[in-house]
Amino acid sequence: MKTIKYIGLCFLSLAFVACETDDEIDTGMTTLPALTAGSADFSTYVAVGASFTAGVSDGGLFLASQENSFPNTIAKAFANIGGGEFLQPLVNDNTGNITVGGTPVGRYRLVFGGGPVPLDVFLSSQGFPVPPITTEAGISIGSDFNNFGIPGARSFDLTTPGYAGASPYYARIASAPTATVLQDAVAQNPTFFTLSEIGGNDVLGYATTGGDGSNPITDQGTFAMALNTLVDGLTENGAKGAITNVPSIPSLPFFTTVPNNALALDAGTAASLTGFFQAVTGIFAQGLILQGVPPNDALALASQYAITFNEGPNRFLIDVAPSASNPLGFRQMTEDELLLLTINQSALAQGYGSVVLTPEVLQVLGILQAGGTPTAEQAGLVLAAVSGIDDGDALDASELEEIANAAQGYNSLIASIATNKGLAFVDLKSILEDASNGIEFDAFIPNTDLVFGGLVSLDGVHLTARGYALMANGFLEAIDTTYGSNFKASGSLAKADDFPVFFSPTLQ
Amino acid sequence: MDNTGLPLPGANIVVIGTSTGTISDFDGNYTITVDQDPPFSIRISYTGFESKTIAITSTNQTVDVTLAEGSVLDEVVISASRTPERIFESPVTVERFGLKEIKNTASADFYDGLENLKGVDINTNSLTFKSINTRGFATFANTRFMQLVDGMDNSAPTLNFPLGNLLGMTETDILSVELLPGASSALYGANAFNGILFMRSKSPFDNAGISAYFKGGITSQEAAGDNEYKDYGIRMAYKFSEKFAAKVNFAYLQGTDWAANDASGINGRGFIDGSSTRENDPNYNGVNIYGDIASSSLGAVAASPTFLANLPNPGLADLLPLNQSVSRTGYAEADLTNYDAKSIKADWGLYFRPWENDFEIQYVGKIGSGSTIYQGSNRYSINNFFLQQHKIEIKNDNFFVRGYVTADNAGDSYDMTFTGLNMNRQWKSDEQWFGEYAGQFITSTLGGANANEAHTAARASADTGRLIPGTPEFQSAFDRVTSDPDVLTGSRLRSESKIYHGDANYNFSHLTDFADIQVGGSFRQYVLNSFGSVYTDKDGPIDYSELGVYTQIQKKFLEDDRLKVTASIRYDKSELFDAFFSPRLSVGYNIGDDKNHNVRASFQTGFRNPDTQALYIGLNAGRVILLGSASDNPERENRAFDVSPQGQAFVGGASSINFSGSNAYNNSFTASSVRAFGASRNPGDLEIANPSLVVPEQVSSYEVGYRGKVEGFIIDASAYLNQYQDFISTVDVVSTFYGDAALTQTIPGTPIPVAVAAIANNDFQAYRAYTNTDADVNSFGAAIGVSTKVLGGFDLSANYTYAKLDFDREANPDFQTNFNTPEHKVKASFGKTEVLKNLGFNLAWRWSDTYIWESSFVDGIVPSFHVFDAQINYTVESLKSTFKLGAANLLNDEYFTAAGTGFIGAQYYVSWTINNL
Repeated sequence: MKTIKYIGLCFLSLAFVACETDDEIDTGMTTLPALTAGSADFSTYVAVGASFTAGVSDGGLFLASQENSFPNTIAKAFANIGGGEFLQPLVNDNTGNITVGGTPVGRYRLVFGGGPVPLDVFLSSQGFPVPPITTEAGISIGSDFNNFGIPGARSFDLTTPGYAGASPYYARIASAPTATVLQDAVAQNPTFFTLSEIGGNDVLGYATTGGDGSNPITDQGTFAMALNTLVDGLTENGAKGAITNVPSIPSLPFFTTVPNNALALDAGTAASLTGFFQAVTGIFAQGLILQGVPPNDALALASQYAITFNEGPNRFLIDVAPSASNPLGFRQMTEDELLLLTINQSALAQGYGSVVLTPEVLQVLGILQAGGTPTAEQAGLVLAAVSGIDDGDALDASELEEIANAAQGYNSLIASIATNKGLAFVDLKSILEDASNGIEFDAFIPNTDLVFGGLVSLDGVHLTARGYALMANGFLEAIDTTYGSNFKASGSLAKADDFPVFFSPTLQ
Repeated sequence: MDNTGLPLPGANIVVIGTSTGTISDFDGNYTITVDQDPPFSIRISYTGFESKTIAITSTNQTVDVTLAEGSVLDEVVISASRTPERIFESPVTVERFGLKEIKNTASADFYDGLENLKGVDINTNSLTFKSINTRGFATFANTRFMQLVDGMDNSAPTLNFPLGNLLGMTETDILSVELLPGASSALYGANAFNGILFMRSKSPFDNAGISAYFKGGITSQEAAGDNEYKDYGIRMAYKFSEKFAAKVNFAYLQGTDWAANDASGINGRGFIDGSSTRENDPNYNGVNIYGDIASSSLGAVAASPTFLANLPNPGLADLLPLNQSVSRTGYAEADLTNYDAKSIKADWGLYFRPWENDFEIQYVGKIGSGSTIYQGSNRYSINNFFLQQHKIEIKNDNFFVRGYVTADNAGDSYDMTFTGLNMNRQWKSDEQWFGEYAGQFITSTLGGANANEAHTAARASADTGRLIPGTPEFQSAFDRVTSDPDVLTGSRLRSESKIYHGDANYNFSHLTDFADIQVGGSFRQYVLNSFGSVYTDKDGPIDYSELGVYTQIQKKFLEDDRLKVTASIRYDKSELFDAFFSPRLSVGYNIGDDKNHNVRASFQTGFRNPDTQALYIGLNAGRVILLGSASDNPERENRAFDVSPQGQAFVGGASSINFSGSNAYNNSFTASSVRAFGASRNPGDLEIANPSLVVPEQVSSYEVGYRGKVEGFIIDASAYLNQYQDFISTVDVVSTFYGDAALTQTIPGTPIPVAVAAIANNDFQAYRAYTNTDADVNSFGAAIGVSTKVLGGFDLSANYTYAKLDFDREANPDFQTNFNTPEHKVKASFGKTEVLKNLGFNLAWRWSDTYIWESSFVDGIVPSFHVFDAQINYTVESLKSTFKLGAANLLNDEYFTAAGTGFIGAQYYVSWTINNL
């Protein structure tokens, strides 16, 4: 009886200790699901591409920018679910520059000094010593890396034997002077790859030279062959991967920062410029008539130069190839035409893009206003005073169309290859377009404005560390979609807070 | 005589099966003359002792009877039916805590000891302020629970709920403590809703002389260290004559409070989030860190023209995390209070029996003062508060009439949350601080910092000039803030409220044979006067009154009166609301030859007028404004608010508007829907809240119970189901300064609703509005207690309490029920009054399941805990003294019963009690 008593009491005391409360309440805290890899194997990840893949930022490749390259960020996420080590061909310093045979071949990276300023210029201006460039293209550092992003590489460069001879960055890591980037990448036996911004440099070079012809657009056939070779090579051993399309190059701040209507005029200057071009029209028509052109035709042809200027902002003038319809070879820019970031902006303030009004020119204008007739020499002075923007400083309508057509061709091929090969497709073009008016990235709403937008670095083309983090997240989300992983749902995306926008000039 | 050999005067002796009987005299002797021939039996019974049946076999037989002290079930309670009856026969569940329990409790004092009763939780807020929870729905402001000391409700008028034992009783003056869990509005009126605690003191006519106790020891807590505490009390009673007696009690306690240093953050939902820290969360709002409630989104800062004017280039503002809110750096609670815990209480009474019989006229006065910590919507440092009560009562055995007044004065009390907030504003305005923060964030970003680094640098820069605790500058700012009652600049709590209360009861049982009938009534008037610091009484005190009358009829049926039926009904009318009837019906039935088993069942209704806070509060708690809803209250809660530059066009271009709480009731969104909208940006997610004004809450309570003795076990079990109607609750709503919640007003030329723009512009105020939920709120539970004697006289008892809330939280995310009660509780105690001569001990163990604590201060998980209390006592009869060595939370495993409070450490003490054997 006693025993039963004790058992009874013990039971009473202990039976309920084991009970668990299963209250459901909104605690405001969500438990995220565990990260899963889906059908992909992230154990050996190799990134192939150009400057974005390498991590170029602020116009240079340097230790800190490489650390923040989007492949490195992706690799950190992969590391949580079976991803192995991710080795990058790190440069030796934070100058952003490299030497070939001891001679610097690029520029120092840009830093923020009110605007983009090259590091060496900035440091000198502050009285600080300029650090030496310690990365030498001629010194091989081996070829076993995971990041084969080669700054400046066009699509076909990656498949061209001997490209090491042309690229200081590839020269450092090429397995042999005649090796191709693709061969060296495939040699790493990737289980997963990213192929990014292929096609980017194929139009970028053309665009950043203002379409002056020094750096032509890669034709579609060459691009198609290169891309197919790349994808076939990388998928040869069954690797899975992700591929980006080409962003809209003219939307980059390199092309959008300097407005084409920055010719700000007060009423007086506007009137005198308008008068100037009436004079130009008159002089030109007179010249034509003197050459025997019927006066009506002469006036019709010359009237295109009677450009009216208004108080406030006015679009610049641009030089074009002289032609029968535009014999003087200049016109006012149209609304959509773009100026390059590298244009000499102080020259713009002094008449570049409009008229350089020297005292001599003003004297001739005075003659004209007084109803006098200038001499042929004086007339030539006026016509020469017109200072249109050079082809290399602007993208005009036809150049823009060429770029757009090329990129569209590349992108439709990229999309179809992605589909055919079952690759994760990252719509980098849309991501950057969406970001142009601000895109939510954690607590930030960065945009693609130069410097303060937060996504595009000081060079106007490459991304900031935070921009690359956003790009990495684009990859991870696309990988989720294609391979069934859950980087996004499990909270494994890169956090905006962890990435800077600028790199300090004091980084050593 | 009893089992110690003392005579028992007044014992009942009856001949079984007849109405013949007598009572023993003062020396315990009795004579009974019977017309019947032996053999027959007599039964001797005495309250508190086990009855005995003796067979009489011969005439002129002398029968010496020794009665054994009865079990708990034989103890007499008066609360359950407002008339004395054995617990065994009580119509409802009742717990009793008597002298023996006080002597044996291992807790540091008798009030703490109540925690070992089944069905009872004690929420510990402070060393000196503890709150009893029966049947759930309790924060520290347990307005559903009532506490009566000699018939006086000792709730503080400003607060409308009892402050533990701060205005309570001195331990040596206690005659008995009874606790009725569950509704008893039928007899005790509106506040006796989920439970009532009765404390009765000793009459100086019956207990004269001097008794005293001295306790001393240490409290040991990791956060506060080891601190001494002392607790003294003395009772002096003198019977001048059969006509006049008087008594005086005084008690003093001093110690150091449990320090609250939970540095976890609080998330947007008001829930404790341990993953948020000052280091990793720019918008951190620490549980026991105050001042960090001042928070602004950097988007709002970036939109400020003053801020933009200071930027070299407005485009730089894009570098700010515009969707990130940041909070100011707060001060730890320990910097804002000294944790003095002090309780000084005194009471005195004059008792006059003009005819030397049961007719008595009393005057009783009580005061309570001291320092404690109260956790309501914020944490308050209560200093030098002063509570007083004065009662005049006229009574005899059949009636009483009493009137009393309770008055409080908040003294030097202050709100610690607002102290932190306004201390910060002493050295830098919020606008300047946030501007400097954003400016440095941009500067650091330009310098190459990532956002984490930029936040750190920004905080360091904005915190330049921060007052450092311990410096004279800090102290003088602290003194200024805590003496200033304006919530915009200070934190002092001012209140001088009063309750006037009258009660009367007449028991007709001596006049009527067929049944016992009682009638009674009460009247109460509130005078709220917080000078606008708690209630909307800026322009003068708020008065309102409540009236109630009740009657109860009790009748016993069947042979041996086995069946007892009690019915009562109460009528209540508040000045503010329609009248209510609350009936109660209970039956008890005794089973078995010895009537050793009793089953009971009851149905009762309770109702609760909204308490003073639900009616008249208008308190800016920082995150939200707490808003009562007496019909005229919301419009009186009227404040000036700044309007964002973008929003000024909608309010006639004014940079600030006066905005009243009426908007919370007629133009508001639910806070949860605004949160959802914040995430989705979909206006379709916004839900109109527009809660209704608060009305009384009702409960229907069904209860069954069993008491009995089985094979040496004493069992007391009960189960209940409570169904609440119009459950009084708060709902979090958001009212926009412009735009209608129906979203019919749009910005001209766009489809964007004006109210959506107001939310985007941060032009809104959150209210925690009192209302009633039409959602079903039910709770049910059960308790069983078993006690027995083992190993030759050791008392072993255990009880288990089950409590469950039945409420669809998911469907009603904005309602807080504040159930705050563990689903499972197990308690056990083991001890012996005399293990050796004069030496006794007791061990008590409690286990509580984990539960969720919801309150307007913070929500959080209370993990399950075990507590051991132990005491050993020794009585020295020559000194009429008992010495006790004890420990509450013997193992010093710190635990807590409510989120946001200090952890409860160990309390080790020795005590010496004189003349209270």
